[in-house]
Amino acid sequence: MIGVFDIARPGSVAEASALLREHGPDAAIYAGGTELLILLKDRLLEPSLLVDIKHIPGLDAISLDPCGCLLRIGALATHREIERSETVRAALPELAATEANVANIRVRHAGTIGGNLSFAEPHSDPATLLIALGATIALESDAGRREVPAEDFFTGFLSTAREPEELLTEVLVPTVEPGTTVIYERFKIHERPSASLGLVMDIEGGKIGTARLVVGCIGERPVRMIRAEAMLAGQAPSPDLFATAAALVREETDPTVDAFESGDYKRQLAATLTLRALERATGSGATGGAR
Amino acid sequence: MTRHAPPTDTTSIGHDVPRVDAVSKVTGQARYAGDLQVAGMLHGRIWRSDRAHARIIRINLNGADRIPGVVAILTGDDIRGVVPNYGHALKDRPPIAVDVVRFVGEPVVAVAAETLTAASDAIALIDVEFEDLPAVVTIDAALADGAPALHDTVHLKAGLYHGLGDLNLVPGNVCYHHAFARGTVDDAFAEADIIVEGEYTFPAVFQYAMEPHTTIAEWIGDSELVVRSSCQHPFLVRGELADLFGLAVNDVRVIVPFLGGGFGAKSYTKMEPITCCLAKKARRPVRIANSVDESMVTTRRHGMKAWMRTGAKADGTLLARQVRAWFDTGAYADNGPRVVATGADAAPGPYRWEAVKVDAWGVYTNTSPAGSYRAFGATHLQWAGETQIDEIGRRCGLDALQMREKNLLEAGEYVRPGGKPLDADLKGDIRKAAEALDWGSPKGPHVGRGLSVGLLAAGAQPVSTAIVRLEADGSALLLVSTTEVGQGTRTVFSQIVAEELQMPMGRIKVIGADTQNTPYDRSTGASRSTTLAGMAVLRAAREVRAQLLAIARKVTGLPDAAITLEGGAARHEGEAWDYPTLIRKHFGMVGGELIGRGEVRPEGNDDGSYAAGPVFWEVCLGGAEVEVDPATGKVHVRKAVSVADVGKALNPRLVEAQEMGGAMQGLGNALYEEMLFDATGTLVNGSLYDYHVPTIADLPDSFSSNIVENGDGPGPYGSKGVGEGALAGIAAAVATALADAGVYLDELPATPERVWRGLHRKQD
Repeated sequence: MIGVFDIARPGSVAEASALLREHGPDAAIYAGGTELLILLKDRLLEPSLLVDIKHIPGLDAISLDPCGCLLRIGALATHREIERSETVRAALPELAATEANVANIRVRHAGTIGGNLSFAEPHSDPATLLIALGATIALESDAGRREVPAEDFFTGFLSTAREPEELLTEVLVPTVEPGTTVIYERFKIHERPSASLGLVMDIEGGKIGTARLVVGCIGERPVRMIRAEAMLAGQAPSPDLFATAAALVREETDPTVDAFESGDYKRQLAATLTLRALERATGSGATGGAR
Repeated sequence: MTRHAPPTDTTSIGHDVPRVDAVSKVTGQARYAGDLQVAGMLHGRIWRSDRAHARIIRINLNGADRIPGVVAILTGDDIRGVVPNYGHALKDRPPIAVDVVRFVGEPVVAVAAETLTAASDAIALIDVEFEDLPAVVTIDAALADGAPALHDTVHLKAGLYHGLGDLNLVPGNVCYHHAFARGTVDDAFAEADIIVEGEYTFPAVFQYAMEPHTTIAEWIGDSELVVRSSCQHPFLVRGELADLFGLAVNDVRVIVPFLGGGFGAKSYTKMEPITCCLAKKARRPVRIANSVDESMVTTRRHGMKAWMRTGAKADGTLLARQVRAWFDTGAYADNGPRVVATGADAAPGPYRWEAVKVDAWGVYTNTSPAGSYRAFGATHLQWAGETQIDEIGRRCGLDALQMREKNLLEAGEYVRPGGKPLDADLKGDIRKAAEALDWGSPKGPHVGRGLSVGLLAAGAQPVSTAIVRLEADGSALLLVSTTEVGQGTRTVFSQIVAEELQMPMGRIKVIGADTQNTPYDRSTGASRSTTLAGMAVLRAAREVRAQLLAIARKVTGLPDAAITLEGGAARHEGEAWDYPTLIRKHFGMVGGELIGRGEVRPEGNDDGSYAAGPVFWEVCLGGAEVEVDPATGKVHVRKAVSVADVGKALNPRLVEAQEMGGAMQGLGNALYEEMLFDATGTLVNGSLYDYHVPTIADLPDSFSSNIVENGDGPGPYGSKGVGEGALAGIAAAVATALADAGVYLDELPATPERVWRGLHRKQD
């Protein structure tokens, strides 16, 4: 049962930030509430003040910069709004498809992208893909705005680079050139996925240009597979190459220990998703079987 | 299946009649225990143990009692020496921990307050000092030499209505031992050309129901108790509460509104004793509503380990089976002994054996208590037995269907020594399942097909009563204490009354169980309600029918044979006397009512089939086609097939719904669900975030439910119960299908990781 608290409804980011600064750890940001309410009900978090940011104008906007190269997703955009956004569907269909499968319809309807990323639950679907896409997270406070690459934003289990007085206001996602493939694969048998993989890869003249490959869910945060990325760059796609990349991912991942799956098996899942994503990116092999 | 011509207004037996309570449920008008308000009602919350086994040294309230709105705080000190232990099979459990806690989650302190928030605030302040005691959290640990005992077993009293014979309790952690043997197994195994042997593990599973346990207790003075509760068996709860508080049963009233699912989680007494104790202390009505997480530590299915061996001749003729099984009943026996007995009964499977020997034990551990769950006993061992039958088949060149055609019992043969002989056509049933799977057709790589068949002793004790009141305006009230748990019992009973009295279903009201106003029914479970309570309903309606005919005879001067009841009226050659007319003539005014009473009991009834027990053998039959992803071990269920051998489907759509629900839970048991206790006895996946209950996304590609109607049941119109068979049947069919795909598992659920490892083990 949820304890007693006050709710403040600031009308601007600066006002919200000032409240967060003033109340420090006694305050919690409230947007969709899909994660927050669980913590409140279990009294894992007992804030005396909820800073309800849902009424700050403009924070739910989704737009494409005039260059067509940068998608801006406001922190208050819900998973459902991102899934349904014509702008997102046209610019980055895989991102829209990923959002369409987050949790369940109730969570998607209420949960926001900003809340999902700020909570930094290691099993977040969008986090893994956004890192692969090279997205940037905008953080704002009454002292100003800064932008942090998504891959640096997640610092560990349920922890991020966001300062207590900062609000995550916007997610900036670079769109991709034609010829670049964006893929999100996951393996899910529980409420949350057991393993996920984001791949953004371009192929030109029969060779891989760059590949960004991120493994999510199985460690404390989504992590880029630097060795596998480096190995893939400049190579011609082949079954052997993909097998080598999968083997590297198997080594490079660092599974957390839990009661549900062993480290060995999590590595197997990461390697399998790598293989499937690479096959899907190049139109070879079976595709999408593990989704 | 047989679907007759469209139902008329008054004849609906065998038809897909919509549920009578569907509209009130989907519009939110149906009331559940959590919807009820009682004047002056307080809200209770519980502080639960975080230790598996410990002595309570001190309870520190830390000001919890001074929180505004807090009215009463209950601890073991309040009941020590005042309120005895309770328990359906063994009286081993105090309503709230007294001096010792025996599992993580056991209630230690209960707070009643004006608001849920105040009660929760109070709970958050409390801490308890413990002195840890050695704990046993697994079956092996509990049975080890010198293992600490949870209870002084030899001095435990037997529960009121356990029906288990002499309990023969010995010191240690075994709370029940059930054994039987037929023939001499050693001799039979000596004759065997093929012997398959294995050890098996079945997980603890949560009987998830959408509605968690909710109880409101209200004392009227000190000697009258009214309890509104989400319980499946109101009369058994009434009996236990009367016993616990030294009251006459007519001073305890248990009222049960709609239940939001039960599946055994709400069978027998659960949260009622603690709520009654808290209300007594508060001197106000109190409601305790579990969260789902709390329900998870309130009851669960027994985890099990077993050893089994099966012997056969080289031609596949089965000879002998021997089983030893240990069921983890947790810290308190609850219905564990009955689960053990039913599991043992089901262990041989429906085959013709020269010799069988079965031993099964219920074992206390320092984990949350285990009780009933849909198809208990059958689900635990059917998958193990059926994979052994298939393995013998593989070694002698017979497929799963051939093995079963060769060895299955025929109707009329004895399933076990004594009791009721087999009352089903199992070979016909299994051929139907095979046909639905396109048995023998080519299949791709990593695809397996499996069949399974078992029997479950169904019906529990055959005692049910019912009352039909035909009112002066021609409407009817049906008083029956079967609880509407989602199975559709109010619909089927309405159909029976409508059929017998030839009146429209819409004019029949079935009220919820209320032990002060509705007559005795033993329980709602064990697939018994249509068969037993339904028969009581039918007899009650027939009594009213007889009264109507008698009145009509008097009114018309015609003999019975000349009068028919049809469309709510007595008729003779174009003339009609509707029921209001007959009742008016009978009582000489507009008023009065005709009352019919129906009873079912073990002996002396005219159908005679209940005496020997079980009431009927529920057929647990399933088929499955699975595809395994070798890279991840994920099992994709392409086809699931059930065969509902129900004698007569009174409402085929409800039969199919029962089958599908049971099948989904069977898939959950076989593939996903497992309560994980760590070394300290703490449930690691104790919420729905971490414990996966199958959802619509886990449905098989196709599900076919095949209804068999041989009219061979003891219930109304030749029916017999349904609802549990598909769970055990489908779970076991998934296991046999996996083995067919090359994945041999000795442990369920078949999680992707276990399947992946199973494939690797085979390659090694």
